[in-house]
Amino acid sequence: MAIAIRPFTREWIPAVVAFNDRLAAGGVPPEFRFPESDVPDWLPHVDGRRIYQQFYLAVEGSDVRGAYILKYQDFSFGGDLRRVVHYRLPISEGIVNKAYSRVGVHMLRSAMKAEPVLFCLGMGGLDRPLPQMLKAVGWHLLEIPFYFRVQHVSRFLREIVPLRRTAGQRFVADVAASTGAGWAGISALQRVRRTAVDGSVTTEIVSDFGSWADDIWTRTHSCYPLIGCRDRTTLNLLYLEEKPFIRLRISRGGEVIGWAVLLDTQMRANKYFGNLRLGSIVDCLAAPNDARAVMRAAADCLADRGVDLIICNQAHGAWTAALRTAGFLAGPSNFIFGTSKPLQAGLSPLEPALGRPYIMRGDGDGPVNL
Amino acid sequence: MTGPVFERVCGIAADVLNVHGTAITADASPETIEGWDSLQHLNLVLALEQEFGVQFEPEEIDEMNSIDRILRVLQDKIGHAA
Repeated sequence: MAIAIRPFTREWIPAVVAFNDRLAAGGVPPEFRFPESDVPDWLPHVDGRRIYQQFYLAVEGSDVRGAYILKYQDFSFGGDLRRVVHYRLPISEGIVNKAYSRVGVHMLRSAMKAEPVLFCLGMGGLDRPLPQMLKAVGWHLLEIPFYFRVQHVSRFLREIVPLRRTAGQRFVADVAASTGAGWAGISALQRVRRTAVDGSVTTEIVSDFGSWADDIWTRTHSCYPLIGCRDRTTLNLLYLEEKPFIRLRISRGGEVIGWAVLLDTQMRANKYFGNLRLGSIVDCLAAPNDARAVMRAAADCLADRGVDLIICNQAHGAWTAALRTAGFLAGPSNFIFGTSKPLQAGLSPLEPALGRPYIMRGDGDGPVNL
Repeated sequence: MTGPVFERVCGIAADVLNVHGTAITADASPETIEGWDSLQHLNLVLALEQEFGVQFEPEEIDEMNSIDRILRVLQDKIGHAA
């Protein structure tokens, strides 16, 4: 029977539950369970909103054989706002039943046909099946660099090192190899790289994003070759007040220069971070020449709260320089930004002049617990 | 099943799926060929598109679940018998 792509509507809920159960029985981890409601918990479609998600199913008769999410949002291409679509969480029964090997290709081709200006983000590394499929169809793949700053070396070692033969151990080995520092030298290296604090910079924690966030967006988005819309409305939808985000407003001499969204999470037997208290710089924005002040303020806020490790993903040159200046080291990245040919075509003429795309964790899968 | 198009499809499939040509019969499918997973299915589709100068629609890709079915879709696409 032929596979057809359909929007996820209420009557398909039992079939989606059954699909998830078949995947789970085949050994697929629970984090890949597809949402079992036709209305997204996060970013549902509401009239007038520019950022929202819609769920799609690959159905065969009355059965679901695959599913994916399209997240619609505006991006600025060097100041020019256009709609871009994020192809999220594609999952097919082909991973547990080879009779459905074709479903993944069908879903990708359908999404590309419906929405040519597509991107994917995250994906777990270039060697995973999805990035390899995207590469095969001509997508551009970019590793978004990963940066980390160890706040408590002894706790970091105690929590990370026991994760032998796991992702955590590989993280340690990869980081040690990529820094060349060795663990004994990490603290010293981070201290040497940190620069003096700018005394005129002040930070305050705010409960939501006000008109000041619109001002920052308006005056900065044209500085970047590609950046997802970060106006006040979008930010208040992405970083909901009831979620445990720390929203920092950063000023210099009384003028707001930027903001940051942080998470401070106590990990529990996490496959990468063990039981560390993890600080994440999820998102931030300022003009490139204010990147250092904003990144330093964000990292210091998390350090003052007592986290063991601070992590951040960023690709744009001004911000990676800011991370290094704030004492961060570069580690191995599994956070991949894949862009379709039509999206890349809109980006290429701008990229060399304005630096690399502005992509952070906040552009990804939403309220993840990092 | 024989014919020049069939032979070309089998040759491409054997290359993409990295199996001996004798393993590619009309009945060969992801369920009978070990390495025929989602990624290799995509690679096979792309290789066929390049070889025959066509582009398959998503619905056509869905039909291509065996060598025999691939051949039928391709026949319809290029407009002559295998």
